[in-house]
Amino acid sequence: MLEFRNVSFTFPGRREEIEVLRDVSFACRADEIVAVIGPSGCGKSTLLSLANGLRNPTAGAVWVGGEVVKGQSRLLGMLFQQSTLLPWRSVVENIELGLEVRGEQKKLRREKALALMRQYGLGGFERKYPHALSGGMQKRAALAQTLAMEPKVLLLDEPFAALDAQTRVVIENDVVKICRTGKRAMLIVTHDIAEAISMADRVVVLSRRPATVKEIFEIPFSRDAKSVADVPGMTEFTTYFKRIWDALDISVTGMGEAA
Amino acid sequence: MISWTHTIIVVLGRILVLVVILLGTELGVRYGLLSRLFFSSPTEIFSAFQLQFAEGGLARDVGITVFETLLGLVAGSLAGMAVGLVLPQLHILSRIFEPFLMVLNGIPVIVIAPLFILWLGLGILSKIGISVYIVFFAMFIPVYTSSLRLDRSFTDALRVMGANRWQIFWKVVMPSAMPSVYTGLKIGSGLALIGAVIGEFVASRSGLGHMILYASGTLDTPTLYLGIIILAVFAVSLSFAVDAMGPLLVHWRFADEK
Repeated sequence: MLEFRNVSFTFPGRREEIEVLRDVSFACRADEIVAVIGPSGCGKSTLLSLANGLRNPTAGAVWVGGEVVKGQSRLLGMLFQQSTLLPWRSVVENIELGLEVRGEQKKLRREKALALMRQYGLGGFERKYPHALSGGMQKRAALAQTLAMEPKVLLLDEPFAALDAQTRVVIENDVVKICRTGKRAMLIVTHDIAEAISMADRVVVLSRRPATVKEIFEIPFSRDAKSVADVPGMTEFTTYFKRIWDALDISVTGMGEAA
Repeated sequence: MISWTHTIIVVLGRILVLVVILLGTELGVRYGLLSRLFFSSPTEIFSAFQLQFAEGGLARDVGITVFETLLGLVAGSLAGMAVGLVLPQLHILSRIFEPFLMVLNGIPVIVIAPLFILWLGLGILSKIGISVYIVFFAMFIPVYTSSLRLDRSFTDALRVMGANRWQIFWKVVMPSAMPSVYTGLKIGSGLALIGAVIGEFVASRSGLGHMILYASGTLDTPTLYLGIIILAVFAVSLSFAVDAMGPLLVHWRFADEK
């Protein structure tokens, strides 16, 4: 469904070019969740911007649904790290924004948005503005906005970092379910090893900049868990956590190793 | 919660201050404690009002100044808004024009006023021109800076949804500039009046500024006070009118306040 084939990306800086990604290749099938993890500043978010068409790879290509990504693909939906709900639109107007951009009829898009709001526990907040919502509810609203466009591939850029632990587990479970039941491909960028193992079928570890694929871990057991909260209690979890931690090669002393 | 007694005390206090001022000047001037050259009693100001009104000059002067101010405010705001919104979209043009606009903004309006009189004559056109000029910058500066600092995450989100430039402009750029438009309008409404009156001070044959300047020159103190009071009333009404536009321009900020 989503595939990176030998993707490289270099920032055209003013004085010197910055090589961010070098020859990155991996795939994510429909019904599959892939987590990308790497040291901070390694280019994880850049990877997503190449898939959603905000940037173009310097070499190689990103494939979505059997086609090379050029500009924005209708198959693709994105959940950003920060809230992208527009403050001047009520919650329901925000959720139907994507459909509005696509030129869908007002009545139809409103119906879809209201149905999604009921489904994700946002009923009664239709006329409220985003700032009146809690962090968790804002995330749900953003999720509903993305799902309203019925994407086949979901991109998530550290979307749950700002949420408290309980809310986080609930939304993570929702997202996993959305992916599994809707046969969607999902790519989640995170710096949280536990989150990566708990949600994903596969974890791609990137190296420091210029980022290459350092190692890919298949996580066979996360799919069997009833809830993402159960995964850290599974026997294999610690082993994978240790292996991924080692692959990340984060120097605990901080300044010790050469960056 | 503020208690009722508290509110009543505040209202009564305000009435008391007003009464003291009115009564104090009335008695002070009447009994020679305050010089008639520097002060006027409320009754004298009221007679000046009756006289000016009867001669037909007052209504005309007020009408002219109000007209200049409102036209200056509307035209200056629209122009400032348009340029402030569109210029940041055109990167190179924005960088070319920025220093020129900043220099123009820096020139005190009192210095620019004679130029407008020269270009547009002694009539109301030059006053409207001056008013438009300062209102333009009052609107342009906040709208322009806020458009430059537009939240990229909003435009990125819209782009990923497949929105084109126009859709991004109408759905993100415009509404996100509305708080600045509101600010510009608040500042501009005061400046519009200043621009009109300054124009009338520099050279004119009518308007409230002209009336005040003429009264000052002829030592007609009651008419001078009358002019100031009318300007104050107009300025306050204008600022109330602009405040009332808040819920229209930035409705989401007023949504949950009760």
